[in-house]
Amino acid sequence: MFKFFSSSNIYSIIQKLIKFIHSIFFLVLIIGLTFALVLSPPDYIQGDSVRIMYVHVPSAWLGLACFFFITLLSILNFIFKIKNFYFINKSIAPIGLLFTCLAIVTGSLWGQPTWGTWWAWDARLTSMLVLMLFYIFYILVFKLLNKEELIIKVSSIIAIIGSINLPIIKYSVEWWTTLHQLSSIKITGSSSIHSAMLLPLMVMLLVFLLYAALIFLMKYKTEIIRIKKKNIKRI
Amino acid sequence: MITEFIAMNGYGLYVWLSFSIVFISCAAVYFKTKKTLRKYEQEFLTEFQTLSLEEKNRALENSKVAQQILATSSKIN
Repeated sequence: MFKFFSSSNIYSIIQKLIKFIHSIFFLVLIIGLTFALVLSPPDYIQGDSVRIMYVHVPSAWLGLACFFFITLLSILNFIFKIKNFYFINKSIAPIGLLFTCLAIVTGSLWGQPTWGTWWAWDARLTSMLVLMLFYIFYILVFKLLNKEELIIKVSSIIAIIGSINLPIIKYSVEWWTTLHQLSSIKITGSSSIHSAMLLPLMVMLLVFLLYAALIFLMKYKTEIIRIKKKNIKRI
Repeated sequence: MITEFIAMNGYGLYVWLSFSIVFISCAAVYFKTKKTLRKYEQEFLTEFQTLSLEEKNRALENSKVAQQILATSSKIN
């Protein structure tokens, strides 16, 4: 079991996964884009602007999911002191920031034709902006601090404080009166989205997941090489 | 028909701009990540070449990761 988690095994698995994702990514992307831009029907109220949903929703979900994982791994790192979690978090954070920024920008582009404004200090939009700021602070810790132990402590504190914002983002549309619509997709209970739109959304989510996994694996591989380079004379 | 598809009933600007921003940002991050990975692989290779023959052999014997990094780097070069 421990042999499976050795750095050489992890490195070999990362390389295989990168190759696998490269081999299927463009096929899934083309299927996703065909569904999102051609095959899915326009909304009866929002018309074709609803197609922005196929890039906006997966971006927002991934932005939230990345921060959730960062918080989870930060807590586990505090308890079990597993150094790998530090490198995983360092690799996940830029991906989360990218998707949070994309969710905000595409949301703004969707807001203009739907609500008549690019931005409003609405609970959902503001809480997403706060998430983006937490990502920026989190990444800055890695850039500005030098001592690894201090980085782990400060970044974990930022992640744990920032995690308070996650349920606020999720329930903001229910707790406050907002411009943003209520959730159409629910994990528990029935979703209010038609299958003709749900299927393209799931395919696009798969595209975004594959992309996120690819960037994460490349960043994590870079971290492994960086450590090996640093310790090359001690091998 | 193509004009209608591009116009998207008047929402074309917003839809295409959203998809373009996502595509360009993701592509930029991908190429930047790839460039950084290549840079570190290259630096590892340079660092490895500064070692003595004995150190090189020891590094290759003791670290499968070092072997794999060198294999990848030599494929690129």
